Amino acid sequence: MKIENHILDILQLYEYSMSIGKSLDYQQNCNDFLKLLLKRVNFNACWIIKKNDTSYIGQYSIPQGNTINTKINEEITNFSSGIGQCKLFQFNEVPKSLCPIKISEGYILIYSLYEEGFLFLYSKNHKFDHTLLPQLFPVIIKFSKVLKASRVFSDQQLLLDKLKESNEELNDYAHVVSHDLKSPIRNIETLISWIEEEFSGSINTHTSAYIRQIRQNITKMECLISSILTYSSIGSKEYQYQHIDLNYLLEDILEHNYIPDHFEVSFQKNLPTIMGDEFRLQQLFQNLINNAIRYNDKSKGLILIDYKELNEYHQFQIKDNGIGIAEDYHYKIFDTFQKLDNSIESSGVGLSIVKKIVNSYRGDAWLESELGVGTSFFFTLKKT
Amino acid sequence: MFVKPISVNHVVTKITDYVGKKAALVSIAENTEIDIDKLIFELNASGIKFMGGIFPKVIHGQSISDTGIVVNTLVDVVIISHISQISKRKLVIPSIDFNENHQYSLITYVDGLTSNISSYLSELYEKYGMQTSYFGGGAGSLSLQQKPCVFTNDGIFQDSAVMCVIRMKMSIGVKHGWEKLKGPYIVTKAQSNTIQEINWKRPFEIYREAVESDSKKKFNDDNFFEIAKGYPFGIVRSGDEHVIRDPLTVNENGELVCVGQVEENTLVSIMKGNKDSLIISAEEAAIESMKKAINPKKAIIVDCISRILFLEEKFNLELDKITSVLRERSPNISISGALTLGEISSYGNGYLEFYNKTVVVGLFE
Repeated sequence: MKIENHILDILQLYEYSMSIGKSLDYQQNCNDFLKLLLKRVNFNACWIIKKNDTSYIGQYSIPQGNTINTKINEEITNFSSGIGQCKLFQFNEVPKSLCPIKISEGYILIYSLYEEGFLFLYSKNHKFDHTLLPQLFPVIIKFSKVLKASRVFSDQQLLLDKLKESNEELNDYAHVVSHDLKSPIRNIETLISWIEEEFSGSINTHTSAYIRQIRQNITKMECLISSILTYSSIGSKEYQYQHIDLNYLLEDILEHNYIPDHFEVSFQKNLPTIMGDEFRLQQLFQNLINNAIRYNDKSKGLILIDYKELNEYHQFQIKDNGIGIAEDYHYKIFDTFQKLDNSIESSGVGLSIVKKIVNSYRGDAWLESELGVGTSFFFTLKKT
Repeated sequence: MFVKPISVNHVVTKITDYVGKKAALVSIAENTEIDIDKLIFELNASGIKFMGGIFPKVIHGQSISDTGIVVNTLVDVVIISHISQISKRKLVIPSIDFNENHQYSLITYVDGLTSNISSYLSELYEKYGMQTSYFGGGAGSLSLQQKPCVFTNDGIFQDSAVMCVIRMKMSIGVKHGWEKLKGPYIVTKAQSNTIQEINWKRPFEIYREAVESDSKKKFNDDNFFEIAKGYPFGIVRSGDEHVIRDPLTVNENGELVCVGQVEENTLVSIMKGNKDSLIISAEEAAIESMKKAINPKKAIIVDCISRILFLEEKFNLELDKITSVLRERSPNISISGALTLGEISSYGNGYLEFYNKTVVVGLFE
């Protein structure tokens, strides 16, 4: 009979143990384990309190009761330090401020949940069997570990949600600001046209030069705003993934974009077909080719596009014989609004866009360059 | 009060005369010929507050009947409410301001053939805790066809529960009389009311082996319930009575479908009873409730319909035992109740449970 009882005890612990850790949600974990305990051991109530800097705060309670928010004082400190790993108390030995329900008889069994606070198990009538305390102990340790994991998971989830929210806010902000800026710029352009029309006979050379400078700055501003818009839209929209043959993609770019006559662009014809968003890939290659054309002072411009297959990545190289980039700029060149000259057409966002697209493919971008000789931009795209 | 209906108006008049301005707890036997919708309409027109259920049979005094209506007066009603979509688990339990100077009782009738009844009971306890005692049973038809079976002034509902809280002391006795035959086993796989694996094996294999060897009877295609009604499962509780689960059918996968939820990793035993042990347990339930009561005026019995299927003609003895215990101390006590599809209360005053094959005696004073 005794052996049978021991087996029953062990199986009962198996049942409790299996109810723990079925979820990563704190509340669900408490429900699964503590409701089972209430059913099987005939407890009347249970609750969890957790310490913060100044107080003990109620985390969970069956039945629902008053919210526990108890300032830590000498009485509470003495009481909590006397619990140890677990201890059985008569109802009147436990400070009322640590109980969410009114208790006027019975016993309270308290277990330490370590970093997760204390678990209180209340029975109105039964004095607990003394074997129950140590028997439940390993199960309670498992429970406290699962509570900690649940809390860490939910904190992480909260952080991710906040990050996502602030990213979305940032994207929305960039969009709104860009659109709002475009409207007054167009108004300035219109007003200048009206001034030119109204004073067409009396504008002298100086004024004319000023107006030209205003127009150049407007163009620059528009270019900058468009670039910000493009940059902020990367990652904020759903990508349309499909098989893209990069040979066709590059031919298309070279055919439909302006390439000065003194440039020769060549690429090896065995570029791969990859899964990607056509528009973003086009933007990626186009920005690098445009850069290679813009920053070239040679009478015969050369651009070579090369490819290498790595284990997990596709690696591309866009090599030119341009002016080259000083080493100080090799890293910050990919930062937003970093540019090598003050030209109107350049917004300083092109390479940031390149970096952002490459990042979205879990790849990397870097460069090798020699002043006066040329630059090689490298980037990788992770294979899917 | 027991009413054999002649017409809806006759029933309404009887109820109105009986409860006056108080509320009514109405238990209707399933074969009663009455238009329930019309009854609800007319009771509403008479300004009576009520809640109730339809049960396989009702109890009045020492008799049971599968036709007729049992009416109890509900005094000092705090709330009557209906909770819908029990199976969906999105339950809205009303809030109540309990006064700690009063004692309260909660009576609930739930659609006994819906799923997640245990979750409903869990929500009730979470909300009200030890501020009230709990008592009730599963309504529905013995045909086991789910249909609307619980009602309030708002209408008649399926997949729902009705509940009332009254300012009244209640004492409860709960017993079943089933003894462990074999076990414990671990329910290694389960889905709601279906036990899919016991000890990582098909449950029917284990069940059949234990039951056939004890009963000396063989299961065939038609006799599962005939044999199984004497061998329920018992959910093991630490140092306390088992909670009984009634296996209703075995499906084509050798899984056992029960009345009431059995969760995964639950420890169960296969139980056995005899007619005498069940009758004695009913008497014990009555004694237990009487011990806690001071001056009981009304007894409501919730007894499982499957006990009558097991006890057959001896069921009258069970009822006799209960009534004689109650009347010995309170000769004028009114006794009524229902034969239900599952019974509700807590053991002692702890967490709420949904039982099968159990008798619950509630004494109100």
